[in-house]
Amino acid sequence: MHILEAVKIHKSYGTKFNKQEVLKGVDIRIQQGEFVSIMGASGSGKTTLLNVLSSIDKISNGTIKIEGKEISSMKEKQLAEFRKHHLGFIFQEYNLLDTLTVKENILLPLSITKTPKKEAEQKFTTLAKELGIYELKDKYPNEISGGQKQRTSAARAFIHEPSIIFADEPTGALDSKSASDLLNKLSELNQTRKATIIMVTHDPVAASYCSRVIFIKDGQIYTQLNKGEETRQTFFHDIMRTQGVLGGVQHEHQ
Amino acid sequence: MNINELIFRNLKKNLKNYYLYVFALIFSAALYFAFVTLQYDPSMDQTKGSIKGAAAIRTASILLVAIVSIFLLYANSIFIKRRSKEIGLFQLIGMTKSKIFRILSMENFILYFGSLMVGIFLGFSVSKLIIMILFKITGVEAIATLQFSVQALIQTLVVFGVIYCFIMLMNYAFIKRQTILSLFRTISMTEGKVKKVSFLEMFIGITGLILIIIGYYLSSKLFEGDFTTMNELFLVMTIILASVIIGTYLLYKGSVRFILNIIRKQKNGYLNINEVLSLSSIMFRMKSNALLLTIITVVSALAIGLLSLSYISYYSAEKMAENYVPNDFSFANQKDAVQFKEALQANKMKFSEKIVDVIQVDVNIKQILETGLEGMNFDPNVMTLPVISDQDVKDIDLSATEVLFSGFSDLLQKFMSLKDSGPIELKGQHEIIPQNYIGLNKDTIVSTYFTNGGLPTAIVDKTVYKRLKHDINPDIQKESTIYIGIDMKDSATIEKANEIFQKMKFSDNRENDSRLETSNNQKQNMGLIMFIVGFLGLTFLITSGCILYFKQMDESEDEKPNYTILRKLGFTEGDLLKGIQAKQIFNFGIPLVIGLFHSYFAVQSGWFLFGSEVWTPMIIVMVLYTALYSIFGILSVFYYKKVIKDAL
Ligand SMILES: Nc1ncnc2c1ncn2[C@@H]1O[C@H](COP(=O)(O)OP(=O)(O)OP(=O)(O)O)[C@@H](O)[C@H]1O
Ligand SMILES: [Mg+2]
Repeated sequence: MHILEAVKIHKSYGTKFNKQEVLKGVDIRIQQGEFVSIMGASGSGKTTLLNVLSSIDKISNGTIKIEGKEISSMKEKQLAEFRKHHLGFIFQEYNLLDTLTVKENILLPLSITKTPKKEAEQKFTTLAKELGIYELKDKYPNEISGGQKQRTSAARAFIHEPSIIFADEPTGALDSKSASDLLNKLSELNQTRKATIIMVTHDPVAASYCSRVIFIKDGQIYTQLNKGEETRQTFFHDIMRTQGVLGGVQHEHQ
Repeated sequence: MNINELIFRNLKKNLKNYYLYVFALIFSAALYFAFVTLQYDPSMDQTKGSIKGAAAIRTASILLVAIVSIFLLYANSIFIKRRSKEIGLFQLIGMTKSKIFRILSMENFILYFGSLMVGIFLGFSVSKLIIMILFKITGVEAIATLQFSVQALIQTLVVFGVIYCFIMLMNYAFIKRQTILSLFRTISMTEGKVKKVSFLEMFIGITGLILIIIGYYLSSKLFEGDFTTMNELFLVMTIILASVIIGTYLLYKGSVRFILNIIRKQKNGYLNINEVLSLSSIMFRMKSNALLLTIITVVSALAIGLLSLSYISYYSAEKMAENYVPNDFSFANQKDAVQFKEALQANKMKFSEKIVDVIQVDVNIKQILETGLEGMNFDPNVMTLPVISDQDVKDIDLSATEVLFSGFSDLLQKFMSLKDSGPIELKGQHEIIPQNYIGLNKDTIVSTYFTNGGLPTAIVDKTVYKRLKHDINPDIQKESTIYIGIDMKDSATIEKANEIFQKMKFSDNRENDSRLETSNNQKQNMGLIMFIVGFLGLTFLITSGCILYFKQMDESEDEKPNYTILRKLGFTEGDLLKGIQAKQIFNFGIPLVIGLFHSYFAVQSGWFLFGSEVWTPMIIVMVLYTALYSIFGILSVFYYKKVIKDAL
């Protein structure tokens, strides 16, 4: 079953006279429980794609269905409700509330679902320890490092165990150890909870954790790679090769 | 790009950012100029002259300068904070601090004096309206013609010039203080940490509360007679003011933070959306909030208190007139009385007449005084009181040893409270008559001409009166010893009778009085004071409302990214707005409630100096103030609504 189905989506920014078309007819189908990553050069429209898929931004043309429901025509209130319960986000700009401590930021999604306090506490402790940010729990975002912010943001996306997680460069500011911890965590959520994950990344190592990689170029899907029965190692090399063909961005963040 | 070009580009680009600041400037300038125009206008002389209100106006204009300065400095502080990023960028590309300061000053200069001109023009336009309102209140019948006053213009320019210098100083200090890093960071600096629930904080909060209670307690004792000399009174008033203001600040700084801290601690990180938007946001800015809330509270309390007092006096004008002039018309000059009666008869107006024989006698009241009279110009051994016979007062019959006092003003009672009974001495020229004081009646019997401005009248038995009259002390007698009170039979004719009274041009040494005229005069006096205080009160209201509103605008801009995140996470606009409402109830409600308390105690401590009615006028003022003030709270919620809507 397709949990997410986007058909011929177009997105453009700017005014009528000064229009910039960022997405030019993208078709994407994602299965329940898939771990997909999206790659492409900087400015190719990855964040934009993620935003429209996750209902944060509106498309100019096309249709997007999540769990069979057409979201491009849903009301703002319904969309908000949907996001609250079913989606988790890790944003490129971290997006933490600077008035809240790390712990309060992470627990935010649970207060919506009225999770009992004790359970919330327990979930928080496990997750924060796994991501190595438990000690920071009473600090404010402006007192922690970029990587710590990113992990906080990830913890917030996971804590309510959403059915789809959208992650925009979740490992961009992390060292390789923290990065692989986070990716392992994502894989685990994907395998044990059957959470669907859609991740944007520049890092071929990160992408090799996925079951499928979608390459974007100039607002269109350039190609796709399936992991299939390959090992992570060989899949990694496939990705590297494709990236090379696509044009040199592979070392942009290193 | 040279500096001038940079200045103009900046100005153009930032115009949107500036509108708050410009509004504050225009508003202040208009207000101040309107007020100063009135101050210098010749048509004000009637109102000023009649009650020497010039001093009041001058005091008011000083207060105005103070509040306007606070307002402008605050607006500027928000404004410079908003631009800290830009300043940081300038520094980053290698501009020196002094060069940045010069650019900002030039830019500010253009803006400041541009707005000032607009404000002056506006102020001139509204001053005519204001003077018409003033004339209406005070009953002066004049046509409001206003000239553009050069004097007013110069004064306004000087005052605002000085404020400009202060603003420049402030900006200079701001730029000097900041490093590039902190300039980038000002917006997201946290001011309140959740970590420490400190004992010190609790202590500070409790100290604040105690200080406020001490202030309230002292204020209730202020005119109870515990402090009788003027120096003491002044000292105590200062102490009250200081302890309440400092107490308020400590209360906000300590206990509010302390309580919020405890609540937040208890949540243990598990906050719902309302708490995210109210609790954490308030705590995030606790430091600047404490000071601001204190300013708002004090200004509100001041405004409510002043407005209440002035309205009390306006409201009680008639009661006071009754106190001063016990009948519709009172005469001490018999010839004048006869003339007036003839005139009334000629106009076929019916009246009744009351004649009371009054002499002045030195009385020793030392034994019946509750308190000493240090610092007052009275010697309790020889207090000169008007004395009348019980024959002249209906329904009162005294024995030869009894004395009854009648007609005592509230003010005097506060300074000189009397026991229920006790021995007193009436001193004639030669003999001293010991008597028993048996009590105090409220009604005034003779006019202020005889009572020396509010002292009680002593009523004695007719035999005692006779003895006193034979043994009279000529040095202390008034020219007249006869009080003649005239009451109109038909109250509808009082006004006409008053016109006749006024036309007859009696001598002006308070021998004769008209109650209506006194009441009108009272209103006229109070009218100007009330107008000035009302003007100040409204100004205080608007500025404090604006400061709060600006602060909220500023906060909402700061928190816009937060709203974006929350909406991305799936909170609806409605969810967010509910949290904002909770926050605004705190931000606007707390200073209002505490301000109301402060002003309540202030009014309770001294209302009787202003009039005889307290509850009705005070409650009217409080309700009106609350209503007007709430408008700002509602406006700020609307602003938030817009920001939240634009956030995604
Ligand atoms: N709000 C916006 N208004 C106008 N143009 C935008 C907006 N957001 C993005 N763009 C443009 O759309 C294009 C795609 O942006 P997007 O953020 O999707 O890139 P990206 O693939 O995520 O790049 P990166 O890897 O650098 O994050 C860019 O050219 C950008 O300039
Ligand atoms: Mg991006």
